[in-house]
Amino acid sequence: MSGHRVDAKVVMLGKESVGKTSLVERFVHHRFLVGPYQNTIGAAFVARQVQVGDKVVTLGIWDTAGSERYEAMSRIYYRGAKAAIVCYDLTDSSSFLRVKFWVKELQNCEEHCKIYLCGTKNDLVENDRSMRQVDYHDVQDFADEIKAQLFETSSKTGSNVDELFQKVAEDFNNTAFQIITGEKGVDLGQKKNDYFYSCCHH
Amino acid sequence: MGTKTLRPTIPCFLFGCADLCDRARVPFTTRASKKSLRSMKGLCLTLEPATVMEADVHKMSVPLENGSLAPVDRLRSERSDSPTPGLVEGTEPGAGQDSAMFVHAQSFEDLTAEGEQGQEQEEVQEEEEGESERAPEFGELGDSEETQEPEGKEEQEQEERENEKEEEDQSGSGRAKEEDVNSEAWRRHRKHVFVLSEAGKPIYSRYGTEEALSSTMGVMMALVSFVEAEKNIIRSIHADGYKVVFLRKSPLVLVGVSRCRQSERELTRELLYIYYQIISLLTLTQLNHIFQHKQNYDLRRLLAGSEHLTDNLLRLLDRDPGLLLSAVTCLPLASSSRDVISSSLQAAKAKSLVFSILLAGSRLVTLVRKKDQFLHHMDLHLLFNLVGSSSSFREGEGWTPICLPKFNMAGFFHAHISYLEPASELCLILVSTDREDFFNLSDCKRRFLERLRRRSSYQALQEAVQAPSYPVSQVGIPELRHFVYKSKSSGLYTSPEIPVPYKCEEEEERLMDLYQYLHSRMHHPTRPLRSIYHCAEKENLLAYVTSGFELYLCFSPLGTKALAVSAVNKLLKWIRKEEDRLFILNPQTY
Ligand SMILES: Nc1nc2c(ncn2[C@@H]2O[C@H](COP(=O)(O)OP(=O)(O)OP(=O)(O)O)[C@@H](O)[C@H]2O)c(=O)[nH]1
Ligand SMILES: [Mg+2]
Repeated sequence: MSGHRVDAKVVMLGKESVGKTSLVERFVHHRFLVGPYQNTIGAAFVARQVQVGDKVVTLGIWDTAGSERYEAMSRIYYRGAKAAIVCYDLTDSSSFLRVKFWVKELQNCEEHCKIYLCGTKNDLVENDRSMRQVDYHDVQDFADEIKAQLFETSSKTGSNVDELFQKVAEDFNNTAFQIITGEKGVDLGQKKNDYFYSCCHH
Repeated sequence: MGTKTLRPTIPCFLFGCADLCDRARVPFTTRASKKSLRSMKGLCLTLEPATVMEADVHKMSVPLENGSLAPVDRLRSERSDSPTPGLVEGTEPGAGQDSAMFVHAQSFEDLTAEGEQGQEQEEVQEEEEGESERAPEFGELGDSEETQEPEGKEEQEQEERENEKEEEDQSGSGRAKEEDVNSEAWRRHRKHVFVLSEAGKPIYSRYGTEEALSSTMGVMMALVSFVEAEKNIIRSIHADGYKVVFLRKSPLVLVGVSRCRQSERELTRELLYIYYQIISLLTLTQLNHIFQHKQNYDLRRLLAGSEHLTDNLLRLLDRDPGLLLSAVTCLPLASSSRDVISSSLQAAKAKSLVFSILLAGSRLVTLVRKKDQFLHHMDLHLLFNLVGSSSSFREGEGWTPICLPKFNMAGFFHAHISYLEPASELCLILVSTDREDFFNLSDCKRRFLERLRRRSSYQALQEAVQAPSYPVSQVGIPELRHFVYKSKSSGLYTSPEIPVPYKCEEEEERLMDLYQYLHSRMHHPTRPLRSIYHCAEKENLLAYVTSGFELYLCFSPLGTKALAVSAVNKLLKWIRKEEDRLFILNPQTY
């Protein structure tokens, strides 16, 4: 898959083993891999097209590793991102602390990046309510405060996963449209190749 | 350098030798006569004089090790058609035509010499190997030796191996992390590896959790510091059939505990691999920085998720002849096809690109490098290990910082790692100096694949990946079961598939153990050999080293020494005939 025809750069952030890779696997390959957990090394890039109305938006998704080892390097992965999906594990309260870290980092360095909070492993919580360690309303309040959107997903069942990425693509499409109309005169056909390519490329 | 007593207050961390402390109470001097050390029965310590430590520290400040050892050019016409033992280096079968791909390492000694140069190695060790007979003159082969395995010994080892196997099976897949460190099963593992910080904090243990082992590691560090207080360095402890080997690589300390027949030196080399593995994730600069700021930092935080890389590397060290021989093996492939693949890769270049490596599993298909830049086989093994122990790169295109410690300990390269097809074994690694260059490299891969797909060589490549490697019967020596041949100048080796008697995991490991044993005999620091004929219980082996190659052969027990010697020539002729297919003779540069 060529990285050239990417419209929007999307970055997955969050503590290790919260389920970022599983989320991307579900969205891109419609599957959930069982077996021993394999941490991501560095980051993995996949491009995937999403239909928005009568348009096709190509999301270039950066699935980063949650390990602290790569923290110093994380800028190269989120720089120029149009959207960040910041993940936490609904069954692990410590993972939500990392969310706050990432949100701060994005607010400081990447102010044009839209933030999506994503509580993962919802299937576990649905099976057994006592597993939940992160309250929905607490996160919703936090989301409102930082003007982010909140999703609770399960990569195992697929619940809410497509909805999340669909929303990312739609929001991008809307803002992209605003920018283009604002800047008027930009050729739509050209945008993919030059303008947007450059944002994932500096 | 005075006399020192190891005080009995140091708790015994050596398993299976609870009486060590008693023995250790015996005073010893660091330059003790061999006699006085021997009198300590099973226990034996190897120490280094103080000067070594300084030399070691000094060595750290020389990060760049590449480029300076470029091999001399060679022409095909110089090759002799019928190789004879004692070949000149560079004309042996498998030697590259123009230049090598790797840092040109003359020998195993060169590679392990790091920090050892000019050292006086005081190794005091009782010979306990079963040599029934010594034949100083072995035909025309030079310094040679003939050994016979005492019966029973191997049987016992075999049994131990099986026990261990059973336990591993019980513990299921993945790491046997929850293992009880006080259990007999834990003690019985053949090789333990521990990594700790200079503050004595656990960083890694092969078996058992680091938490459970923190006091053990504390004792290890106490031992190290205790000896260092007198400006000496502890190298190893030999007791009750165990070897405890210490490798001090500030700010880390690595300890190996083994009851294998491997030499202390080989164990040290394995620890060095583990050290480089850690460096490859962090760089030495970062590591030093961390510990300068916080001496008792818990490095596991930064290494989280990398344990399986170290686990896997240790498995490779037990099993892969490449790591033993400091060499890499190639996917057998018609040279015409390989050349097309190499030139396609060569054409797909980018400014920041330093190495393009195409792998089929753990076999090299081709490697293209920037002019004047050489890859060290150790760095390549680390890349193999990275790719081989993670499915992470199957998800999409990987982009990860990686330090190649033999190239430069101080900084990161950035590697673009991806498979050519979703379910394929063919993995492309593009090593770049620019961390912002992902899309450029992604484009290189696309161009390479586009170009390759248009040629028939791609088909040939895919067939070669599917096909098993070659059977030893192709050589046409009936008693020959298996061999490993390394061309020294190219740093490449070839080996047939594992034959039936060694197909199961334990037997394969036993064969590797035998090779390892012969290897450590051949490369003995003070008594290196050029050849050994060794009669093991179920097979006869011949090891043979010249300036051009290194060869290990395994024969059926019916084979004789005379037959083994004549097989060498026959095999070399066969390899010469097949070298186009088995080796990379035309390494390319951008
Ligand atoms: N039950 C359940 N398990 C999940 C779900 N998503 C992920 N997991 C499990 O959580 C573990 C970690 O998942 P990954 O997707 O690899 O986590 P990650 O965030 O990519 O981790 P790093 O790459 O180390 O940062 C795996 O064992 C998954 O099987 C989910 O929706 N439901
Ligand atoms: Mg992941």
